[in-house]
Amino acid sequence: MSDHRREADPFASLEAGDEFAVRSIMLDKAFVRDYACAIDMNFGRFTDDEAARAEGLPGQITPGNMTLALLGRCLLEWVPGASLKRLGTTFRGLALTGTSVQVNGTVTERSEDGRSIECDVWMEGPEGDRWVIGTATLVRA
Amino acid sequence: MAFADIPRSVLGQEYDRLSYPEVTAEELIHYARKLGVTDPIYLDEEAARRGPNHGLVAFPTYVVKLRGGKMMPPEVVKEMSRGGFDAGKDIEFHAPIRPGDTLTARSTIFDIYEKTGRTGSMWFVVFRTTIENQRGELVANVDSRIMQRGRSGEEPNR
Repeated sequence: MSDHRREADPFASLEAGDEFAVRSIMLDKAFVRDYACAIDMNFGRFTDDEAARAEGLPGQITPGNMTLALLGRCLLEWVPGASLKRLGTTFRGLALTGTSVQVNGTVTERSEDGRSIECDVWMEGPEGDRWVIGTATLVRA
Repeated sequence: MAFADIPRSVLGQEYDRLSYPEVTAEELIHYARKLGVTDPIYLDEEAARRGPNHGLVAFPTYVVKLRGGKMMPPEVVKEMSRGGFDAGKDIEFHAPIRPGDTLTARSTIFDIYEKTGRTGSMWFVVFRTTIENQRGELVANVDSRIMQRGRSGEEPNR
């Protein structure tokens, strides 16, 4: 499914079972470091490979708060003009930096009045492992 | 020491409250830019005025920045000796954040529970941060789950 334009009613054509267009996002080291600093989480594991390795990690990792936010970003890109009412995530694996991830989403339910939709959303690593899984509720703005 | 040893009396008790300086348009735009948001309603005040919110608002996940002053109460800190993992977050979004808002974050332990999976017992502590604006409107509830592997035969400390 292609993205929905703001000019159109973002909910008009969405039905349970619809899949959103997969988004590829590069977890570039500088991107992750800058975001971590922007949310005052400039801890070594999120900003620097060496500091992360000193903690026993394979290298710089992405904060869970950032993977969650990226899922939120994709949801509002898929349905522009909607409001995010709820977003729940489970962090299942280390989101390593320097890798490209794919964010997927599906509509699981549409409310009877058409004012909200429920979605599944998840982030896959390069091997297809689901590093982050989540559910969300979007409502008409 | 482990999460199973945390007394249930801590549930619902506020252990931290922090008021933040007034929100500025610049910091909301900075946050959105660093996340890679491209929608102008989060990046440009003029575009935001014409948008559905009739003015600039924070990109919703900005609330993850408002974690309060104290990550966890002493009853939990002492049980962290066995380690813990950030297992996930659940956020309910309510009133939007606008420039000029002054926000307060209150922190409580919302839940402590055990789950048994294929790899055995896991204990979870859910920290809830409730964010309100200067009008007392609820902005968000942010629930953070920290997980710890359990020991066999553990009973919760009631």
